[in-house]
Amino acid sequence: MQMMKIETPNNLDELINCLKNADSSSCLLGGGTDLIININNKKLYPNTIIDLSGVNELKEIKKNGSSISIGAGVTLTEVCENSFVKEKFPALAQATSQVGSTQIRNRATIAGNIGNSSPCADTVVPLMALNAKLKMLNGNGEYYHIPVDKAIKGSGKKNLKPNEAIIEIVIPYLKDTCSSAFYKIGSRKAVTISKLNGAVVVDINLNNTIVNAKVFLGSLGPKAFRSIMAEKVLMNKKPNKELLSEFQNILMKQVDEAIPGRGSQLYKRHAIKGMCEELFIRLFGESCIRGEI
Amino acid sequence: MEGGNQVELNMIVNGKKHNIDINPSDRLLDVLRDQLGLTSVKEGCGEGECGACTVIMNGDAVNSCTVLAIQARNKEIITTEGLEKNGELDELQKSFIRNGAIQCGFCTPGMLMSCKALLMKNPYPKEEEIRRAIEGNLCRCTGYTNIVKAVKDVVIR
Repeated sequence: MQMMKIETPNNLDELINCLKNADSSSCLLGGGTDLIININNKKLYPNTIIDLSGVNELKEIKKNGSSISIGAGVTLTEVCENSFVKEKFPALAQATSQVGSTQIRNRATIAGNIGNSSPCADTVVPLMALNAKLKMLNGNGEYYHIPVDKAIKGSGKKNLKPNEAIIEIVIPYLKDTCSSAFYKIGSRKAVTISKLNGAVVVDINLNNTIVNAKVFLGSLGPKAFRSIMAEKVLMNKKPNKELLSEFQNILMKQVDEAIPGRGSQLYKRHAIKGMCEELFIRLFGESCIRGEI
Repeated sequence: MEGGNQVELNMIVNGKKHNIDINPSDRLLDVLRDQLGLTSVKEGCGEGECGACTVIMNGDAVNSCTVLAIQARNKEIITTEGLEKNGELDELQKSFIRNGAIQCGFCTPGMLMSCKALLMKNPYPKEEEIRRAIEGNLCRCTGYTNIVKAVKDVVIR
């Protein structure tokens, strides 16, 4: 690999200094599971790498009054094994547990998944469905929040400016009546880029009726997006195998609208039916789709 | 740290402290294999997919081809060379041999480190946990069955 400069800030103040001097040939380094490979494959030629692994303020998961904050340096393993995340945000726990392999999850970070700017990024879909925001820091020492939906530029364009870094991912708590789920389809069961991924958040009342729904889909075009038509199908309905069938049909239509004429359209419009079934099982249980409720 | 110049790296490898000069762009794989002569650590793909370069860093299995060496500062690294103690192979290594979990041997160091990392965290893993621990380690020879059997054999004993 070519000669480059490494900066190793030990805290947020030192990070601000590094960001102040950063330009378009600087790269932020989290776990390195995308960046180091891209440098080695000569897809990227940074002059400067800012190594975030020494900034301890980025390594915590904090429960706040109305939200959870996941530090930019928290690994995917730490996220998916966190009991609070598993209980309150299963979609995020499921997404992080299905990225790569154990070795990759032990290093990779959510912030890196967003910063790497892939349209197939697995953590983006549940974060959008969960209304997550990014807490950012720039070279002027300014902190600010951006909704994940706004932060993602799409089409593989860089999501971050050269002089800014993600500090935390902030996710508001859901009502106790809400649940969430994520599913991905790849060419393998593990260590696979998603060909299709999706996240659903539902609010179900005491009559077992869906009173609110959010459906987000990824790997279906330049940017993960919200499927309003799928949400309308779920609203005010009870989850059962008939609803699953309607959900599958509307998402097939959604695929046709999202990627008309693409080579993968025929595959994805069928594969999404399987994804729907898995999402329903994760949200409502297997007995729901067997028609036992 | 100056660009183009060497930087200092302090880390503990297989129980021994090292203070070495590295290039800023070196990966942990490059330092372990080429500078420290720990040739159990192999570059199978350089893309974090095959797991042949797996080492244990502060208790976690990692692909050393995706770790920039400087990120290993002040950390403890274990490679296959560090499993042997006083000339005797680790129980896991003995179990791999006993259970036919090695054919060409290329994946074996990485496979051992993934399995060792699992057992360090979870001494009594179920089969699905063993399989999940090695999903990032490719083997073209064994079909994985004997590898899983070898780990189960250590658990039973």
